[in-house]
Amino acid sequence: MSTESQTAADYSDAFAPAVAGASGANPLVCLQCGKCTCGCPVAARVDVKPHELVRLVQLGLRDEALASRLLWECTSCETCVTRCPQHVDIPALIDALRQMARADGKVPEGTTVPAFNDIFLDSVRKRGRMYEAGLMASYKLKTGTFMQDLDKVPMMLRKHKIALLPPRVGGGGERKRLFERARSAERKPR
Amino acid sequence: MSYRFYPGCSLESTARDYYLSTEAVARALGLELPVLDDWICCGSTPAHQTSELLALSLPAKNLLAAKGETVAVACAACYSRLKAANYKVANNPEVRARVAEVLGANYDGSTPVKHLLEILVREVGLAKVKARVTKPLRGLRVAAYYGCLLVRPPEVTQFDDPENPRILDDLLAAAGAQAIEWPHKTECCGASYSITNVEIVQKLTREVLAMARDAGADCIATACGMCQLNLDLRQSDIEKKFGEQFRLPVFYFTQLLGLAFGLGPRELGLRSLVVDPARLLAEKGICDAGVPAACETEACAAYCACQHDGMKR
Repeated sequence: MSTESQTAADYSDAFAPAVAGASGANPLVCLQCGKCTCGCPVAARVDVKPHELVRLVQLGLRDEALASRLLWECTSCETCVTRCPQHVDIPALIDALRQMARADGKVPEGTTVPAFNDIFLDSVRKRGRMYEAGLMASYKLKTGTFMQDLDKVPMMLRKHKIALLPPRVGGGGERKRLFERARSAERKPR
Repeated sequence: MSYRFYPGCSLESTARDYYLSTEAVARALGLELPVLDDWICCGSTPAHQTSELLALSLPAKNLLAAKGETVAVACAACYSRLKAANYKVANNPEVRARVAEVLGANYDGSTPVKHLLEILVREVGLAKVKARVTKPLRGLRVAAYYGCLLVRPPEVTQFDDPENPRILDDLLAAAGAQAIEWPHKTECCGASYSITNVEIVQKLTREVLAMARDAGADCIATACGMCQLNLDLRQSDIEKKFGEQFRLPVFYFTQLLGLAFGLGPRELGLRSLVVDPARLLAEKGICDAGVPAACETEACAAYCACQHDGMKR
């Protein structure tokens, strides 16, 4: 974090309350003890550590928080919130920041996580359940990761780990309406 | 005893052996697990990363369909999403109202959700499990691996001690195995990035495998389709990448329990395991019959992938 280089204009008083409202987590009670970072499985590789991310939110440093690679490398293991003495729900906070980052077009280059999420959810919307064979094909086409894990396919087929036929689940119309209602409710201000 | 079963997507594909062995063990114990009609995906990580409302509404739709019956879950990731939906809907009237709007029906968060481990250990009971054991897993040193989402966050899952859970260790002991002490019971394997960031998965999974090996385990027992896939399917890649040797079979706990009940390897889907457990099981005198190989040809696999072993879709 290079907070020294910030000017007053970069700080936003509205950011912390907005994140708190969207996540249900309260970043302002964080004591910066660092316990979250000690237990975080990706802390060693990310640009901004969990306790630093909370600090960025406290300070209203919106751009730095939203551009952080932690948002796309956090594994949602829930260790941080489990051990936090102040019970700051960092995984919920990160989920809210992910959504803000996507809305702002701040997703760092090189991460395929948002693309995967969209394909996955679209598959659930259409079919009701994940259809892995179709999901993987769409993902590889969209992200250009053709070779990744391709060597495992014959073995997975032999071991019956890939269902070839898509799942058939009833209630498709109702399910699509549920997705539409969720999307339009997310856009409404609370 | 009867529970409404929510299999989850992975049990229909990569974790089909978890499905088979769950059904076999349930049959052996007289446990009925009728499947929840037209269950849909819980939304998993992509939903909670993308839309809180969707992440709550997809589980809520399933829980509402259970009509108050206790829902039994096998996958730790589904379990976590269903429990989180219950917790948030029950404790926050505003969230409840928003979810009701999306569902077009009111759900109050009261449908009980239990993982198979909780059902077997706390409801069926260890005494009954023990009484059914005909081939105790004597001399088998097992690392009980819980992963993240069964135990965390504890106020949501209320599963066991989040730092040192015992429930799976106790069940393995009831099956005659030796559950080893090791510190990585609840470390993360990185499953949510199984497809999108393999580097993270390999690093975290390697740490779990190395710790299990160094603590003297013969094998690992899992209670989640995602954890099992990473530890098993990616094991040889990790061995190559880091120049290590693990050779640790990674079972679903239901497969080990089934072996202790004297059930056959076919019925327990043992041939779907990637790290071959045959030698270990023969060495320990647990399953001398040998584990049948996977389908001999790919064409065979393609034709029978969905119908094999009574697998229901």
